[in-house]
Amino acid sequence: MTRRTFRLHIALLAAVVSPVLHAESQEHSHTASVSEVIPVERAPGPAVLRNESRAPHTVEVTITAEPVRLSMIPGKSTVGYAYNGRVPGPLLEVYEGDKVIVHFRNRLPEASTIHWHGLHIPNAFDGSPFHPVAAGTDFDYVFTLQKGSAGTYWYHPHPDHNTGSQIARGLFGSLIVRDRNDPLRGIPEKLIVLSDNRFHPDGSIDIADPESMQGGIDFENGRECSHIFVNGQIEPTITIRPGEIQRWRVINASAARVFRLAIPGQTMLHVGSDGGLFEHPVEVNDIVLANSERIELLVKGTGAPGSATVLQTLPYDRYSPQTRPQDWDKPRDLLKLQYTAWASPKHVVIPSSLRAIPAIDTSLAVRTRVFALGQGFINGKLHDMNRVDETGKLGDVEIWQIENIVGMDHPFHLHGFQFQVIDRDGKPEPFRSWKDTINVPKHSTVRIIVRLADFAGKWMYHCHILDHEDHGMMGVLELN
Amino acid sequence: MKRWLSGVAVIGGAAIVMLSVAAWTKPDKAKQDRAAQIARGRFLMLSHDCGDCHGGVVDPSQKGWLTGVRGPSQEFKIGPCYVDPAAKPCFTTRPKNLTPDNATGTGRFTERQIFNALRYGLRPEETPDVEITSTTPGQGNFPLHPHYLAPPMPWWAWRHMPDEDLRAIAAYIKGGLKPQTNKVLDSEGPPDFWASEYTVEKIGPYPAKSYPQSETERQ
Repeated sequence: MTRRTFRLHIALLAAVVSPVLHAESQEHSHTASVSEVIPVERAPGPAVLRNESRAPHTVEVTITAEPVRLSMIPGKSTVGYAYNGRVPGPLLEVYEGDKVIVHFRNRLPEASTIHWHGLHIPNAFDGSPFHPVAAGTDFDYVFTLQKGSAGTYWYHPHPDHNTGSQIARGLFGSLIVRDRNDPLRGIPEKLIVLSDNRFHPDGSIDIADPESMQGGIDFENGRECSHIFVNGQIEPTITIRPGEIQRWRVINASAARVFRLAIPGQTMLHVGSDGGLFEHPVEVNDIVLANSERIELLVKGTGAPGSATVLQTLPYDRYSPQTRPQDWDKPRDLLKLQYTAWASPKHVVIPSSLRAIPAIDTSLAVRTRVFALGQGFINGKLHDMNRVDETGKLGDVEIWQIENIVGMDHPFHLHGFQFQVIDRDGKPEPFRSWKDTINVPKHSTVRIIVRLADFAGKWMYHCHILDHEDHGMMGVLELN
Repeated sequence: MKRWLSGVAVIGGAAIVMLSVAAWTKPDKAKQDRAAQIARGRFLMLSHDCGDCHGGVVDPSQKGWLTGVRGPSQEFKIGPCYVDPAAKPCFTTRPKNLTPDNATGTGRFTERQIFNALRYGLRPEETPDVEITSTTPGQGNFPLHPHYLAPPMPWWAWRHMPDEDLRAIAAYIKGGLKPQTNKVLDSEGPPDFWASEYTVEKIGPYPAKSYPQSETERQ
């Protein structure tokens, strides 16, 4: 940064301070004129949510969703939505056993929710479309994180038929549940939130008219966009010391894009997925990360001091032949991995055993449900908020057979419960992990096993391609 | 009094017998209707030459009857490449396995989805199982972005068949065929799923105008 641009930043910072103060003094009148909310240029809040509680094992935070004007792409100003003024939203960092209180303030001109993607928490706090938070109102999400839930999660809105649009405008954030006895503690961590977006030439967010050709293609593929962001930035740089091992937590927050992550010429250790660590590390050349899935990787700095490499996304054919993008087979660079001039001072030993994941015994399953995934619907049906598609008994163990009967991949997400994969097209899963989202490739069948315990209520299951979900590729499981 | 009571009992008993006979014969009637519907569907599929593309030609006793293509020689090339193999675009159509196999056939489709495929040309795996009451995209459950069956499937002609005939075909596919596993690769096509080829100008209106319609028809 030159001295001149630095001065400019100072000037911009000064310029945004007064509207912030002004907006906050007006806060009491917010509910009255919420549809007239004018986005203000705000200084973003901290990148990590500040704990407002002094009570032990309690994390109390405030998340405000509101329209903002910010710079998403270089040289342009974009009106979007943001959590506490940031895209991605701030990190919520908690420990297993913590009681979490989130004061959600919806200052959007429309209803919203916060869905805590992957967390096993009471139904009323899941942030599903059944519990909308009206424009201009507040809601407290209160839940306790269970033992064994340590992992990487994310939070995002989930209003009926409107999830894709709100996430596209900038509403998504990350959540890390930590274990005080984490077997990998001490290893430096990087959080990598992947997203993509599309803009008009003037910098405004381009959400295609559903009736247009682009709207049709977005409905097929999901809204897959040319601008790829890493933590809200385009091709940023991550530094690593030669010889250092870093733990990367990667979240795919995009509406539809599936990433196939690789660092050319080196392997990575895949150590965890949606619901936390595996039992043992698995060495991989590349790893497919469907939208809304998370992974944990150990990346070793094998390069020479001062050299650089990239994290890429390799081609992955999730598309139907009709709407497969022209450039689908081209790798894309996501970020630059820059080696420092000095080597890592310490030698880290990676434990070969990370934790125990007890298998859910298939003989305990009381039933098998079949879900046939069509293009934009499940079991022939479009989602209806007034219909319960499946009813179940609280505490039952069930096998879900998810059959993708069409020619493109669909990532299937179940709210509220982590599950284990039994097999894919009859091929037993090679190792156990906790998952809340499973990519079901075109014309294939995945069987999962889940214990539907603890929390009664109406739970959503759906395709996590947001355009499909909003169109109605979603169902309701009611547990009593 | 006693005799009167026993009279009631006799009449009551007879009524119960008659009711149970009625209940017993009723599903039989439904079964017969279903069998007739399936037989009608079979006749229609034979007479409309479905096996010529979908396998088995004209003989239901042939192995491979309606099980879909089994290799590139049975595929269709659609587009300018039909004349000049090098010309673009070139889309491959692969007639599907119509037997009710869950993984590779029609097992996961309802009869209504198959009906909608024949009446409106809508792919059953890509169109919800709903009653469609319009042919205008976005109205009456007609999809905003319809996914049409790939040419040369001549649904635009067969959609004019009566409802009961199309239902009979669906009944035969779901109820008269044994599931056979044959994985047929997806057909290709343009990103509009052939919508620009299936306009009213190109395939005519549905329902067709009543007879006589034009000067080439007898008045």
